[in-house]
Amino acid sequence: MNAQLIERLGAVIGGVVVAVVAFYALYKDWQATGIENQVFKLMLVLLGVGAVLALLAGLNIVGFAPKGA
Amino acid sequence: MSVAAIGADAHDGVDQLYVETRELRLQGFLLFLISDCVLFSSFIFAYLYLRNSGQGWPPPGIQRLDVAFAAWNSVVLFGSGATMHYALENFKHGNFMKYMWFLLATIVLGAGFLGGQAYEYNHLIFGEHVTWWGSGIFGASFFTLTGMHGLHVFFGVCYLSVLVLQSAAGVYTKGKFFGITAGTLYWHFVDVIWVVLFSIFYLI
Repeated sequence: MNAQLIERLGAVIGGVVVAVVAFYALYKDWQATGIENQVFKLMLVLLGVGAVLALLAGLNIVGFAPKGA
Repeated sequence: MSVAAIGADAHDGVDQLYVETRELRLQGFLLFLISDCVLFSSFIFAYLYLRNSGQGWPPPGIQRLDVAFAAWNSVVLFGSGATMHYALENFKHGNFMKYMWFLLATIVLGAGFLGGQAYEYNHLIFGEHVTWWGSGIFGASFFTLTGMHGLHVFFGVCYLSVLVLQSAAGVYTKGKFFGITAGTLYWHFVDVIWVVLFSIFYLI
């Protein structure tokens, strides 16, 4: 197992976990009102999107990978 | 400090000044985040403009940034956003020990992200000879933006460390915890900024 593979595996597993946690937290807080909760909801959406992007990068679907990676 | 202790205010009553000024504090803090957002936006748009005005990206002689390590490091930071969210949720529900553990996990993950960034800088500067001052627009924009973000993460880690000490000292109560809310907002903010930086430097 080379370092690239370990990093990608970590990104994929971590990305799945963080995306699920972020979207679940968003689902739970969906009914919450107040300015701070609206900001939290926006931030959770973007956090989930970021986790999905990291997951896709780990899967080599997006981003640049050097030859042999 | 016990769970019961965060269920009631220290003076067995509501801090009237806090109640009256809480919304103002929140609005002030959100304005600070918006101003920080403007700061990052100006650098990001400058980077995108320069990137698209040149002939090809990255400039000749510079390798494209490898996404695998960055993806892993990003997940570490995004994970810290999740732990910080649950730290606040646990505090709101009176689970003080869980709150402390999630807060400590956030600090560890934030420090881990900084360590990853230091490793990447080391690799770029000494391995590939990409520097802030000697690699043209690419080096200048990459190190400025990621360095500025790293500085925000560093200040965030310091802020959260202060929160740990204050929480252990019983500064925050169930009815008075704006410092923790502000810390959570700030930490989510640095996460979200990294989503953008990760996308523009590593994915497109």
